[in-house]
Amino acid sequence: MQTDKESFSKLMQENKGIVFKVCNSYCSNKNDIEDLAQEIIYQLWKSYSSYNSEYKFTTWMYKIALNTAISFYRKVKKTRNTISFEEHLIEIEDDNNSSETNQNINLLQQFINELKELDKALMILYLEEKSYKEIAEIIGITETNVATKIGRIKEKLKQKFSTYNL
Amino acid sequence: METQELKNAWNASEKNLENLWTLNMRCIEMVQTQKAKSKLNGLAAFKSVAIILGILYVLFLGILVYGNHFKNLYFTFSIGIIMVINIVAIAVYIKHLVLISQINFGESIINAQKKLAELQASTINITRIIWLQLPFWCTWFWSSNWINNNTANFLLTAFPIALFFAVVAVWLFKNISLQNSHKKWFRILFSTTEWTSVIKAIEFINEIDEFKKD
Repeated sequence: MQTDKESFSKLMQENKGIVFKVCNSYCSNKNDIEDLAQEIIYQLWKSYSSYNSEYKFTTWMYKIALNTAISFYRKVKKTRNTISFEEHLIEIEDDNNSSETNQNINLLQQFINELKELDKALMILYLEEKSYKEIAEIIGITETNVATKIGRIKEKLKQKFSTYNL
Repeated sequence: METQELKNAWNASEKNLENLWTLNMRCIEMVQTQKAKSKLNGLAAFKSVAIILGILYVLFLGILVYGNHFKNLYFTFSIGIIMVINIVAIAVYIKHLVLISQINFGESIINAQKKLAELQASTINITRIIWLQLPFWCTWFWSSNWINNNTANFLLTAFPIALFFAVVAVWLFKNISLQNSHKKWFRILFSTTEWTSVIKAIEFINEIDEFKKD
């Protein structure tokens, strides 16, 4: 059990970005992000004993994190119909980034937040540079379908970016 | 903005997540020491409450039948049928509860989310079964004495009312289904706030089906 706890903590440390990128994409205020992060870690720990090490850990982790986030999002959306973007937790204050980069990050986060639950999952995996094969396995659709949908979402994002940059 | 720029912007945001790792560690400690509980078990809680209330209702009906000592066959038969219908509904709820516990978030997103949404929407199927008891609420007070001595009155009032509700109940049983969820009468029937989550679940099932198409 102690070994399980240690290996789980180690794997979480190595893949910490996954939890917060998923949380940040599905929630728009600090309390929800904290609640979702706890829920994802709870679900990961609960299912950890059934994890088959023959498969890639990150694939399994994305499935749990995204499934939890979508379920959580659908539950939270019922109680909060409107969420302002200003509520967003992740404030970009990195001095190393130019103001243009910061603006792009904020726009990208805003656009991802506006996507439908399933499209959002697809886009997160794409931006995380997962292969179409892995995305297809995580989402549960064909590789061709992944490529078609990503193409459409990217086109929408580009249009939105060009509108903002006009 | 080009694809690589999108990915660069996405990766740049990761730097800002580092300072949230302290929170992540606190969550890990909490779940490992069992101090954290899932907030996503609302569906199971709802079904559990329905099962408990259903059992209490069936027990109450059982007491009524027992208290009548089978003196009036119409009463015994009507309440008996109502009891059976409610027992079936409870059994379906118990089956749902088992299915909820078997949902595996390690499955693909489409599979896990569809199962979850279908279970949420399945409350509609219980409603179909529950409607079947409607005509029997119009027959429990019938008696042989009334039918034999006041036949005309019975045939002109009680019987047509029970027949009408029997037709309504069978029609609803046949037509309340996810396939008819887009129809106007369905939307009106399930328009109250307590059905919002079920209607949203049906919409999500449709969204998943649409998403699966190439």
